[in-house]
Amino acid sequence: MAKAIKKGSVVLAVGTKKGGFLFHSADRRKWSVAGPFLPGQAVYHMIVDPRDGRTVYAGAPMNAEPWGPAMYRARIGSEPKPSAAAPKFKEGSDLSVTRIWHIEPGPADEPDTIYAGVEPAALFRSRDRGDSWEDLDALNYHPTRKDWQPGAGGLCLHSVLVDPRKPRHLVVGISAVGTFETRDGGRSWTTENKGVRAEFMPNKYPEWGQCVHKLTWDSSGDGAMFHQNHCGTYHRGPDGGAWTEVSKGLPSDFGFPIAAHPHEKHTAFVAPLKADVNRVFPRGQMAVWKTSNAGKTWRRSTKGLPGPNAFMGVLREGMAVDSEDPLGVYVGTNTGQLFASRDDGATWRMITDFLPPVLSVEAAEAR
Amino acid sequence: MRASPEELARAGVLVRIPPALRTFTQGQDEVVAEAGNARGLLDALEAMFPGIRDRVVDEAGRRRQYVNIFVNDELTRDPLPNVRLAPGDIVHILPSVAGG
Repeated sequence: MAKAIKKGSVVLAVGTKKGGFLFHSADRRKWSVAGPFLPGQAVYHMIVDPRDGRTVYAGAPMNAEPWGPAMYRARIGSEPKPSAAAPKFKEGSDLSVTRIWHIEPGPADEPDTIYAGVEPAALFRSRDRGDSWEDLDALNYHPTRKDWQPGAGGLCLHSVLVDPRKPRHLVVGISAVGTFETRDGGRSWTTENKGVRAEFMPNKYPEWGQCVHKLTWDSSGDGAMFHQNHCGTYHRGPDGGAWTEVSKGLPSDFGFPIAAHPHEKHTAFVAPLKADVNRVFPRGQMAVWKTSNAGKTWRRSTKGLPGPNAFMGVLREGMAVDSEDPLGVYVGTNTGQLFASRDDGATWRMITDFLPPVLSVEAAEAR
Repeated sequence: MRASPEELARAGVLVRIPPALRTFTQGQDEVVAEAGNARGLLDALEAMFPGIRDRVVDEAGRRRQYVNIFVNDELTRDPLPNVRLAPGDIVHILPSVAGG
């Protein structure tokens, strides 16, 4: 199967409730599929490491649900095998890892470093491609931890941003705890939730307790970020400090994924849903919204997307972008469709239907 | 010729390995270990087959929610150190009825 994935192809690593798939295409018009890998297993996140274009990582239960989580690794196209060890908490902590939610490649010059965000919320770092793990104490046993509350999806650490300019600068998102930031490689963390609403709390702007759904860097490259929250969409400038709510112009303040353009600054895509109590596209029309000015204005795109009787949603890892020009944007739904745009989000085509519910989509170039 | 379970178990506790964990035991479906209780048994298995213990119990030492341990066909519910074992006992490690 590995030979079937041509070098230079765009590869979409798609994690679903019943296994992982690799969709690949040299021209982004005609797509082929390899998989399912880890069949029957809930693959919450699967990536092709963009640093080498050929190592696949996936977080899934070991063989089946009862045996605990495992980090799987493979050369692209071959069946993933469990790494030597899964992330786990220190003895005596009375905590145990139940699920791997997110896998993030480390800095470009540390090709063996990966991060794992897990449930219950914690961050682990591996410097040997997932065979051993470092429990990042200052965050994982943060003084506020005893009061952390789960969101509806669980108490999960789902967003990990590694600053390409300064690898010791990391930002993480936890539901429903908020955004934390370190500038010393994880030795100390600050809460970074100023300006973010928490409508479900008595104090609507607490220091922490916000339900962050997804974080991503703004490709401005200066540390600015986008943020999709349970209560609004936000942008934060390069100097840190308070977030600016940029939900105005969107059909709702609720959604899960957010993906930034890798080359055009202040540009990002979201897929707002009707509300937290009704997690489907507004008016039954699937739509992706794009901003090119850090959220000041948004443009809706529906051409090629289903509606007006499409009552599905997209989960937090369900959107990805490639690095081609024009940009490819990809969205997987919780009803098993995978959609692609090869013109910067202007028009869409369905790549496939009848997948199990899509839990994650990531794009990379095969090398 | 393969020894009978009874013959094998005279040397210790006979452990039946479920299919999902046979990647750790190089495909063996049963192994013999010496241990006086269930926690000791898992330690002995871990020494022989690194990584297998974490699949039965979590890092806090708790039996995973949907994993059952039977001793001589009886389901154990006690904390693992209290589950006494003796040579000749047969232990099954099995996933409970689950899935979806």
